Amino acid sequence: MREPVVLVSPRRLTSVALLVVGVLVVLSVRLYDLQVVRGPYYRELSEQNRVLRIPVSADRGLILDRNGTVLVRNVPAFAVSIVPVDVPRSQQVSLAERLGAVIGREGQEILEAVLAQRIRNPYEPVKVTKNPISRETALLLAERADRFVGIRVTPETIRFYETGPLYAALMGYTGPITREELETRAELGYLQADHIGRTGLERVYEKYLRGRYGWREIERDAAQRELRELAAVPPVRGNDLVLTIDDKLQRIAAEEIQKGMDDGRYTQGVVIAMHPKTGEILAMVTVPGYDNNMFIRGIKPEEMNALNSDDRRPLVNKAIGEIYPPGSTYKMVTGLAALSEGTATRRTVVNVTSSVLTVNGFNFFDWRAHGSVDFVNGFAYSSDIYFYTLGGGNPYTGQGGVGPEALTKYARALGFGEPSGIDLPGEEVGNLPDPEWKRKTLKEEWTLGNTYHASIGQGFVTVTPLQLLTAYAAVQNGGSLLRPHLLKEVRAPDGTAAVTVKPEVRRELPIAPDHLSAIREGARKVVTSGMAFMPNAKLPVAGKTGTAEFGQASGRDSAGRNLLGFHNWFVSWVPKGDETGTDSDIAMIVFTFNSSKGACASCISPAVTTSQAIYERYAGLR
Amino acid sequence: MAAGTIAFSRTASPLHDRPRVRRIEHLDPYLLISTLLLIAYGIVMTYSVTIEDRAFSGDIIQPMSRAFLYALIGIAVMCVAAFVDYAWLGTFAPVLYLVALGVLAVVLVIGTTTLGATRWVQLAGFKFQPSEFAKVLMIIVLAKWFADRAGRMGSPLVIGGALAILAPAAGLVFRQPDLGTSLVFVAIFFGMAFLAGARPWQLTALVAASVAALPVAWGVLKDYQRARLTVFLDPYADPQGAGWNIIQSLIAVGSGQLTGKGLTAGTQSPLGYLPIAESDFIFAGLAEDLGYVGALILFALYAILLLSALRIAARARDAFGGLLAGGVVAMIGFQIAVNVGMAISLMPVTGIPLPFISQGGSSLISTCAALGILQSVAMRREDAYVRT
Repeated sequence: MREPVVLVSPRRLTSVALLVVGVLVVLSVRLYDLQVVRGPYYRELSEQNRVLRIPVSADRGLILDRNGTVLVRNVPAFAVSIVPVDVPRSQQVSLAERLGAVIGREGQEILEAVLAQRIRNPYEPVKVTKNPISRETALLLAERADRFVGIRVTPETIRFYETGPLYAALMGYTGPITREELETRAELGYLQADHIGRTGLERVYEKYLRGRYGWREIERDAAQRELRELAAVPPVRGNDLVLTIDDKLQRIAAEEIQKGMDDGRYTQGVVIAMHPKTGEILAMVTVPGYDNNMFIRGIKPEEMNALNSDDRRPLVNKAIGEIYPPGSTYKMVTGLAALSEGTATRRTVVNVTSSVLTVNGFNFFDWRAHGSVDFVNGFAYSSDIYFYTLGGGNPYTGQGGVGPEALTKYARALGFGEPSGIDLPGEEVGNLPDPEWKRKTLKEEWTLGNTYHASIGQGFVTVTPLQLLTAYAAVQNGGSLLRPHLLKEVRAPDGTAAVTVKPEVRRELPIAPDHLSAIREGARKVVTSGMAFMPNAKLPVAGKTGTAEFGQASGRDSAGRNLLGFHNWFVSWVPKGDETGTDSDIAMIVFTFNSSKGACASCISPAVTTSQAIYERYAGLR
Repeated sequence: MAAGTIAFSRTASPLHDRPRVRRIEHLDPYLLISTLLLIAYGIVMTYSVTIEDRAFSGDIIQPMSRAFLYALIGIAVMCVAAFVDYAWLGTFAPVLYLVALGVLAVVLVIGTTTLGATRWVQLAGFKFQPSEFAKVLMIIVLAKWFADRAGRMGSPLVIGGALAILAPAAGLVFRQPDLGTSLVFVAIFFGMAFLAGARPWQLTALVAASVAALPVAWGVLKDYQRARLTVFLDPYADPQGAGWNIIQSLIAVGSGQLTGKGLTAGTQSPLGYLPIAESDFIFAGLAEDLGYVGALILFALYAILLLSALRIAARARDAFGGLLAGGVVAMIGFQIAVNVGMAISLMPVTGIPLPFISQGGSSLISTCAALGILQSVAMRREDAYVRT
């Protein structure tokens, strides 16, 4: 006999059956809640998932000169973006790599952008081109759409700088936004791979130039086809900038300064023209420059290397971003300090009987023995010994000098040693030495020789060309130091002026009008009979020459040109009516680098001849 | 049933098993029909959730032909299993146990790694997931163990021995790592121990020991597994990261509403919102496409399947057959509860396939094999009555 077979307990089987039914009931109840009770809510959420929100880019504002000539415009180009949900996850790596090879970006960067967007909003396209792609590339991608699933090639506009190098130093350029900038500017409506003003006016006036994105909301079916447009907000284009620049003068100035470069008379040059009564910059040229269009299409490494290895620093706007000793142009400061402090008058005469002044065993040279000169003639003939005397005094005659502290005080009043406040980034301030500065910086005591050198703008004094021009303009206009500016007006898309820039007086000079007029008198005489002789002069130009002496006087620069160590200044204006009066519509500074072998009288300064040519061509006299 | 067909008493040994009874008449029709309907339901869902592939690869044929192929293989395996006397399985249980451990060890050595887990073995162009087959093998092994000791369930050695049998297999699966499948092993164990007549205090002690071991288990888990458990408690703690799947799954399920958006009309999975839409989260796709009605139909089919399996257990000719059926119920029921529970945020996210509905040949074929064994149990139920 067999023992009875033990079977599975029916009671326990019943319990399991109840458990099975119980679990299914619980699941059903939960599903009822989700699908029936809260179904409409979830349905709406899933509908939102189907709506694609596409940004519509807005054109950046144009940049015009004061007469309405377009200097910076937008031209059509193409961008590639990816809608992450359209790309199967299994294909995204290979897509990123293939696309990267076509548009010239690392596949990994594209992949990261897509992955980040998948988390943010996978329905929203993310732009993956940093720089615009050519029409050919765009067509290639469109033709091979089957191999590039999920990409969208969209037209966009990019910046085009009409004349490239002519305005590069002013306009700057735009570039792709960085991740950090994107984070700090998210609320301003910037999107990934957006472009932002990188330098120059593009950067300073980003807030005006930048447009506002529009949006299109489209509904799509499961096959990613666009079904219909649900909503559209049109983009708002950016405001235009109207500059104070006169394109005609800018071109003339650039051509004239370039001529001397081409002839090998100097290796670098700067021209700035300004309206002396308003501070409006009429022209600003710095050579050699660069083509800012390179940065828009994406600068190649070899181009960047060439720019960086050029020791003339073409990327720097030397009108504001480089400092030089002002040379004899600085005698205006010495003269005005002495007149204002009363240590000299315009009738103060110094007998320059020798071209050397020897003090304490040191020799201080003049470029010739001028004989007996007064203030106006000392300025006109640029007598170094006259201004050594006004600045530091003369131990032989007992004539007292105004001293280094006063020189610095009046230099500051004239705007040296501080930024001019022009609406461009990268402005330098230069250096105004005085005994305290020397003690701090060089740990040495100030000497009389330092005062002498400062009196004629050599040694430790450094200025930017724009500071020098602004100071002379203040003397010319009767004593108002102005803020130089490039922006004249911000023009809204509808043509109305959103912002109009008014002349801004930084300060009234603490200098008597009579003293200013002594400088103007001397400046006119500089041209009529002094240092800046202009053959066949057709305009009554007044100004002051200078020769900055610094840097290497031998060897060659990276462009193979001779280094001379002497650099010419000419800062000038064209008086209207009274030749020593305060009426004028244009002041200008020309600086030529490596343009002379010494401070000689018979050498014709290229800065002077260039100035004359620019004035006369601008006035239609050539 | 003619009593005369069995002339003399004998044990139900496979050696003496002769097809004298028209066993085909005892095939369980409810189990068969629900199985076939579920297989068909799975093919329909495969079609629905793979429709998106057409947009990219233009190849809707491939996943569909695979689904049909797996279904055919599954049905064939089920037929073979049904017509073999399941007692053979008991005879070879030790061998089957070694086979199970063997394949689980092999997969760790030569397996294919996907998404950080080594679960698949490439063979003749197909990917096998040995742990799916190992589940069925473990049911057989445990059923044999308990059935042979049915009268001695009070002994701690029986439960302890079963645990010792289970541990290496579950451990190997956990190493892949596949937390979900190793939990299925545990569920099978508890279900079978309960049905085999384990004392309540034994089961209570085991549960208590498991709870006590939770802190230890937490330390063994991978970071992503911990993240899943954390977000289960609060999906919105990390809505773009680990909670993403849960939220999107809830949106898919809820947006299906009463009758669903229609086959292939769901938007959550084709648009990439629903992760692993064809396997782990397929229930969300089903609920989105076919709505509450579609989900209830699925539950009804499952209920018929599981209840008829329990009926087979109740009528089995011996404890081995009954425990086989009980183990299969535990396996399928647990997988349903976890997979559906995960899609509707009642359970943490674990990669357990939904029986019949999730794509994947290994899961379907091994489930079919298990149900074939159940049919074998059902077909031979009369054998017990003639034993006296």
